[in-house]
Amino acid sequence: MSTVDRLSDDEKLELLQGTLEVLILRSLKLEPNHAYGISQFLQQQSDSEFLVDNGSLYPALQRLLQRKWIAGQWKTSPNGRRARYYSLTPAGRKELLRATSKWQRFAVAMAKILAPEG
Amino acid sequence: MRQWWSKTERALGRRQNLASELEQEMDAHLQFLIEANLEQGMAPEDALIAARREFGNMAIVQERSYQSWQFPRFESLLQDIRYALRGIVKAPAFSLIVILTLAVGIGANTAIFSTVYAVLLKPLPFPAGERLVWLGESNAKASGISVTWINFEHWQAENHSFEAMAGFQNADLTLAGRGQATLTHAGLVTSQFFQLTGSRPMMGRLFAASDDESQSPATVVVTQSFWAKSLSADPQIVGKMLTLDGNAYTVVGVLARDPAFFLRPVDYYLPIRPSASQAAKRDAHGSMRVLALLKPGLALAAARSDLNTIMERLAKSDPGPEVNHRAYAEFLTEERTGDVKHTLVLLMGSVGLVLILACANIGSLFLVRMTIRVREMAIRSAIGAGRGRLVRQLLTETMLISFLGGTCGVLVAALALRALERFGPRDIPRLAEASLSLPVLIFALALTMMVALVCSIVPVLCSGHVNFSVLLKESTTGSGSSGMGHAVRGGLVVTEIALAVILLFTSGILVRSLWAAETVNPGFEPRHVLALELQLPGSRYKEDASILDFYRRLETALRAVPGVEAVGSANCPPGGGDCGDWWYSVVERPAPGRDDVPVTLINIADSAYFRTMQIPMVVGRAPSDEDRASGPAVAVINQELARTWWKDARSAVGQHIKLGGPYMKGPVLEIVGVTTNVPDMGLDSAPLPQIYLPFEQRVSPGMVVAIQTRGTPESTMATVRRTLASIDSDIPIQSLKPMDDWLGSTLTERRFITALLALFALVAVILAAIGCYGVLNYWVSSRTQEIAIRMAMGARTAEILRRTATQAAKLGALGSAIGLVGSWGAARWLKSLVYGISNRDPIVLLSATVIAFMFLALAAAVPLWRSTRINLIETLHEV
Repeated sequence: MSTVDRLSDDEKLELLQGTLEVLILRSLKLEPNHAYGISQFLQQQSDSEFLVDNGSLYPALQRLLQRKWIAGQWKTSPNGRRARYYSLTPAGRKELLRATSKWQRFAVAMAKILAPEG
Repeated sequence: MRQWWSKTERALGRRQNLASELEQEMDAHLQFLIEANLEQGMAPEDALIAARREFGNMAIVQERSYQSWQFPRFESLLQDIRYALRGIVKAPAFSLIVILTLAVGIGANTAIFSTVYAVLLKPLPFPAGERLVWLGESNAKASGISVTWINFEHWQAENHSFEAMAGFQNADLTLAGRGQATLTHAGLVTSQFFQLTGSRPMMGRLFAASDDESQSPATVVVTQSFWAKSLSADPQIVGKMLTLDGNAYTVVGVLARDPAFFLRPVDYYLPIRPSASQAAKRDAHGSMRVLALLKPGLALAAARSDLNTIMERLAKSDPGPEVNHRAYAEFLTEERTGDVKHTLVLLMGSVGLVLILACANIGSLFLVRMTIRVREMAIRSAIGAGRGRLVRQLLTETMLISFLGGTCGVLVAALALRALERFGPRDIPRLAEASLSLPVLIFALALTMMVALVCSIVPVLCSGHVNFSVLLKESTTGSGSSGMGHAVRGGLVVTEIALAVILLFTSGILVRSLWAAETVNPGFEPRHVLALELQLPGSRYKEDASILDFYRRLETALRAVPGVEAVGSANCPPGGGDCGDWWYSVVERPAPGRDDVPVTLINIADSAYFRTMQIPMVVGRAPSDEDRASGPAVAVINQELARTWWKDARSAVGQHIKLGGPYMKGPVLEIVGVTTNVPDMGLDSAPLPQIYLPFEQRVSPGMVVAIQTRGTPESTMATVRRTLASIDSDIPIQSLKPMDDWLGSTLTERRFITALLALFALVAVILAAIGCYGVLNYWVSSRTQEIAIRMAMGARTAEILRRTATQAAKLGALGSAIGLVGSWGAARWLKSLVYGISNRDPIVLLSATVIAFMFLALAAAVPLWRSTRINLIETLHEV
């Protein structure tokens, strides 16, 4: 947690509209995870660049549930705590593929435009 | 879609579940954070506080998560509705008045519309009912004359305009051989009738072309209800015999559903078989009319001229007395509804006025309420409600209360329809089918929405003129009323009075007409007379002698019954309608032109009829027993016929009438007497010329025996039945009722319309009174301070009263003036319903105005009284 503390919240990146949901889907690609685990994963993977606010994370999880892209299930964690584990549904997997390619194209395009000339 | 569904699922029952799940989940999250903090070596309390801080505001997380499960628009609508309901409950008197007013307005309109729909609008229950055409013959004088068999055959074979054609007529036959002989009703039709009406057999077959051939065996198709009721639902009925009027008919089929084409119940159908003369002569009329299916896309006029071409060709190839006859064609829908259309349009119009009144009332009520609530609106707008939101709230409230009213209205309509079923006139076709069907309910819904919109326009418009911020600073409740508000309110009062005057006038005209018709001198004494209607079966009473003998024996037997004073018979009693009419001419006068031959009703009466009915002779004598078939042919005419030809009825006696007119064969009759007119077509009808022929010279198997009794006619009914059975037990009684009923039933429809319109007028006046009361009361309330100041300055009560009364009188005078103009216009619609008075009767006009004014005065009395009772000190202190 120490890395998180060192960067003040102002310096962190605001998530772009619609990106959080893709990131959550990506975080569940390998294994099911709970809300705390997902926020940990996102912060670690982004080198603490992204600010993941619980006020955004939870509603995003609810929206994904509504679309049936993820499913929730109560399980016991390795250290004996009961938590709600989210996993990708087949529809969620498909959506992840679609969104990943979209965001990659977006990122490449952005980079091309923003890249220094020459 | 899927998202929407899972939202609904949640919204319906899992919200509770969602809350607890989310709580647990967040709790687990917090525990993970605490654990991580503990691992870093924090003290337990610090670990908890740090975890809380890191997690963020739990309430916000919860709130936002819930939101993703909601339908924001829908929920705010729910909120509006909840709020509106609270508003309705908080002002129970106001809400009750509005809902009741709406229930009456919408209920009455829905009920009347359901009859209009059933009678006028609903398509006829036949395939391609809109293309069905009613055909008759016509000449220069009359249209819709019966079609002769030969003409029908030519039309059917030679026309190019119709897909199919079928002749039809009524007949009454006696069914014998199955218990008591009963009179049954037959529809005589040609084979294509069933195809045209879309009928199917439940058993056996319907008529085929072969049944139309006059040599083929006699066949009958029975209706399902007759089969079930009179043939004990015999499953083996096909192939069995029925004895009708003494002839045997083979049952070939049972109808699955009676087409209900004839406007009276039908027990079975028989093929039409022309008589020998009908089959030979082109001018031998029966009573057959023709139903035909117009080819799609063809105009009725084209079809008519097509048939006329055939008639013109026939006039050359087969001339006769009817060379001038042409075809008459009318759409069946028109033919069926032509007469009642006018009545129903009048009813719909009046009930529409009642609804407008109801709307005006509710509008003014909302207006009053709006001014009271103006401060509430101002506060709500001050704490951030947008104008759109306020308008939406007002709309929701009006909509909700309108829908409550509309729902009650549908209940009122359901009750009204049940009353209609019991008391409504029976001779309006398809009236019994009036019900709350889907189109009627859609009408009610549309009406409700319209009313809701109209009623909400007033408060919403007025809310636009209210400056909320100014209002908040002011202290008195009434100051929200602008000049515009007063104008609107005054306009509402004027409208209400005008509408009430119009409705009072229309119903007044009808009430006076009904009164005139009920009290008209019928020209005879109908009380204490019992009427026995008989139709002797033709199989056993073929000869004139046997018919005469039967009636002579019956009359003699009846005269011997104690309590019977006199007995006499006629073919057509007063109120019997048109039992038959024919052309005639007066021999002593120049012959009329071919197209100008006059028509008269033909009646048959025996020697005792006029005495029994107490129909006075104006001059000459009644038929006597001496007028035998072998003797000189004589006739008694009525005053109306005498009046057309002679200034003095006395000069008619001894002159001669030629039946059939100068161009047709017919007997010459010597006029031996003139009687007073009796109302043949009903009490509210103008007299028609009529000729009475002596029974022995014109024998008819169908007669109405009039029995004058000492006591009430009803008390002799049983004896009359027994007496008839003692002479011939196999004669069915067509009807046995007091003579009063023959006449009284002619007014059923008039009584019904009058009662309905009077009811509408009453409702209108009450609504108008309530409306005027509300507005004037408000007028006084909003002027309380002004009045108090005037009184403090020394104005006397009389002056205060005069001011308020002047205001009321001004509105009343304007409303009445508009109402009178409207009544003058509405009178045009009443013309066909008026009897015995002018359709612009000044007395009715005047009394309508006076009654409206009286109600206004009554409505104004309380506010006026209140204006004099204002507590000076208290009111002035409030300022």
